[in-house]
Amino acid sequence: MGNAIEIRGVTKTFGPKTAVRNLDLDIPEGCVCGFIGPNGAGKTTTIRMIMAIIFPDRGDLTVLGRPSAVESKDRIGYLPEERGVYRKMKVGSFLNYMGKLKGMDSGPLDKTVKDWLGRVGLADTYRKKCEELSKGMQQKVQFIAAVIHKPDLIILDEPFSGLDPVNRKLLRELIDEQRGEGRTLIFSTHAMFEAEQLCDRLFMIHKGNKVLDNTLDDVWSRYDPSLLDVEPAAPLAQVDVTPLRSIPGVANVVVGAKSIELKLQSVDRAKAAMTQVAQTIAVRRLELRRPSLEDIFIQLVGGNEAALRGEKEEGGN
Amino acid sequence: MFKTFHVALREFIATVATKGFIIGVILPPVLMGVVLTIMPLLLREAAPKVEGHVAIIDRSGQAIRSFEKYMAPEAVRGEMRDQLGRDGSPLADSKQAEQGMKMAESMVLGSAQVSVRVLPSDADEAAERAQILTGEGKPESPDQRLALVVIPKEAVTPAEGEKPSDLQILHQPKLAVQWVGIIQNAARRAVVDARLASNGLDAEKIRGLMAAPKTDTKSVTEKGDVKTSEALKMLLPGAFMFLLWIAVFTSGQYLLTSTIEEKSSRVMEVILSAVSPMQVLVGKILGQAAVGLLLLGFYAGAGLIGLSAFNRMSLIDPLNLLYLGIYFIIAFGCIACLFAAIGSAVSDVREAQSLLGPLMIVLVIPMMLWFPIIQNPNSVFAQVCSFLPPISPFIMVLRISGTEPVPFWQIPATIALGMVTVVVFAWAAAKIFRIGILMYGKPPNFITLVKWIRMA
Repeated sequence: MGNAIEIRGVTKTFGPKTAVRNLDLDIPEGCVCGFIGPNGAGKTTTIRMIMAIIFPDRGDLTVLGRPSAVESKDRIGYLPEERGVYRKMKVGSFLNYMGKLKGMDSGPLDKTVKDWLGRVGLADTYRKKCEELSKGMQQKVQFIAAVIHKPDLIILDEPFSGLDPVNRKLLRELIDEQRGEGRTLIFSTHAMFEAEQLCDRLFMIHKGNKVLDNTLDDVWSRYDPSLLDVEPAAPLAQVDVTPLRSIPGVANVVVGAKSIELKLQSVDRAKAAMTQVAQTIAVRRLELRRPSLEDIFIQLVGGNEAALRGEKEEGGN
Repeated sequence: MFKTFHVALREFIATVATKGFIIGVILPPVLMGVVLTIMPLLLREAAPKVEGHVAIIDRSGQAIRSFEKYMAPEAVRGEMRDQLGRDGSPLADSKQAEQGMKMAESMVLGSAQVSVRVLPSDADEAAERAQILTGEGKPESPDQRLALVVIPKEAVTPAEGEKPSDLQILHQPKLAVQWVGIIQNAARRAVVDARLASNGLDAEKIRGLMAAPKTDTKSVTEKGDVKTSEALKMLLPGAFMFLLWIAVFTSGQYLLTSTIEEKSSRVMEVILSAVSPMQVLVGKILGQAAVGLLLLGFYAGAGLIGLSAFNRMSLIDPLNLLYLGIYFIIAFGCIACLFAAIGSAVSDVREAQSLLGPLMIVLVIPMMLWFPIIQNPNSVFAQVCSFLPPISPFIMVLRISGTEPVPFWQIPATIALGMVTVVVFAWAAAKIFRIGILMYGKPPNFITLVKWIRMA
């Protein structure tokens, strides 16, 4: 199986700001790839370059085997971050229009539109004007516009923002369904739970630089579980944590609101450390916790910030 | 190609199938036509009944006979015809003008029964005046006093070295203004007749001598002599240019606002995921060109129907209509590219105003030059303006539909120049559109737009 997207040495600047710097990225066909990164990191710029809405200053992109997405726009579905609809246009007309722009045959198009609206619980909005819909409903309409033509590649920029839990679940199911049909999906998100649930692969960008590009399995193995979560049997205020700090292999102890977190020097020490904790204080719960994507995100972004700060200080000295 | 067509179709429908378009553009001329058609019927139905008498106190005793003569229905009718059908009136001598006169007569005279009641020359003015008030508001009858005319003796024969006295006309407050005018006119003419008679002159003969003759003005054409009107000859080129201007700017404005709306509502990025910026630009321009052609056809059609109704089709050369269409395409091409470029560069209409200002100053120039150019369509000034884009199409339409034939070479030359201008404007607009349409934040100025053209 080849790559749906190949990016080589791509750089994009806006005036003095470099939005994406010397980026290399391969996204295999059929995978679900999450683009994560803090606000202003360069995710949307990367997506827009993939979509050939804007063009890189340097570097090459290949999308679905073509040098530009312009040549394969009908095979791509796109839900932009800045979503919009024709406010005065009726929902059915809008989706029919988008289907025609995506090269769909007019004959069965209207039926497909109605089917999709029914699937996302918006069957009664076919004749309503887009402006009459709530933001979440409009988002579902826009999702339909992105996938109605059964594209090979679906790019969703922040698809979960503004959705309630029920609709987030619905969207997860729809994305999963698209994956099941063999489509390549890319979505940028700040919703780490959804990323954990859906992604095969993670790409993280920060200040225009790639800081993570792995499969989810690789990410888990790279960021070993090294956190002991201890919930004492006694009230937390009555627990003396000093003996815990002296347990071999424990790098740091943080007392939280309900539990105590023991950061281990390495996961190899986990077994011995857990035994010693149990011997030191009475525990209700003792858990070796895997870091969440959020932890990894914060670690990467925080580490990067620290590195950048360090660079600045060194430069200043 | 099909995608461009779909963009154009949506643009056209989204513009035309709105209440704003129907109410603002289509409805006014339709309503005007309807009103002009049914107005005579309504007015005929609603013509108020006027019945009563006009009393006259002639202290001189010399003006009564003339006053009665001028107040006779035939004399009133004749005077109205003279007023309405003055020589040089643009629509004189047409069926519609005749109908108009009949309608006016019907409105004023209608079922009126107005008589003249002569009072003694020494009648008490205050007592007679009071009778106007007693008749006011009562049902119409021959005894109802509509007005009282008092002619002082000094109005006919003023004292030595004095100015003639004024006439006094007192009337019911509700008496129709046309009837007040008729009474005023009859009294004035009667006094003048009396003055002439008192000096031993024949008023009828003098009036006959003083009456200015009517003229029969015709254009000499290959098809024969055609009756023309100087006023219409002056108005028609202006009408052609205004027609072009309105069609171009109305659709241009629609293009500007729809581009801004698509950008500010963020739907543009969704569209650009399916089509290229160039396809969007071309589709939008084609869609609005269709709107402009619809407007042009609608208003031009209404104008032609009007001219046909007044037997003035001979004033229109069919070739001029063809040129109107060609110059519309050129003018719209230029203006649409400029408006689309500005629309793509800004985020709301307010921001667009600063960029539109200088452009509008250039584009109202044809409106300001209208009169000097139709007076002398082949002056050096007019010919130079004909080769200045983007006002060239407007000036050419003005000149071509004027009275003097334009040197033929100038028509293909200005069309070719216009086409080249459209291509250059489209090239620049495409570059601005491609960058501006996804650019948000601080609105650009002209220098920034030039930079975008150079960098894209």
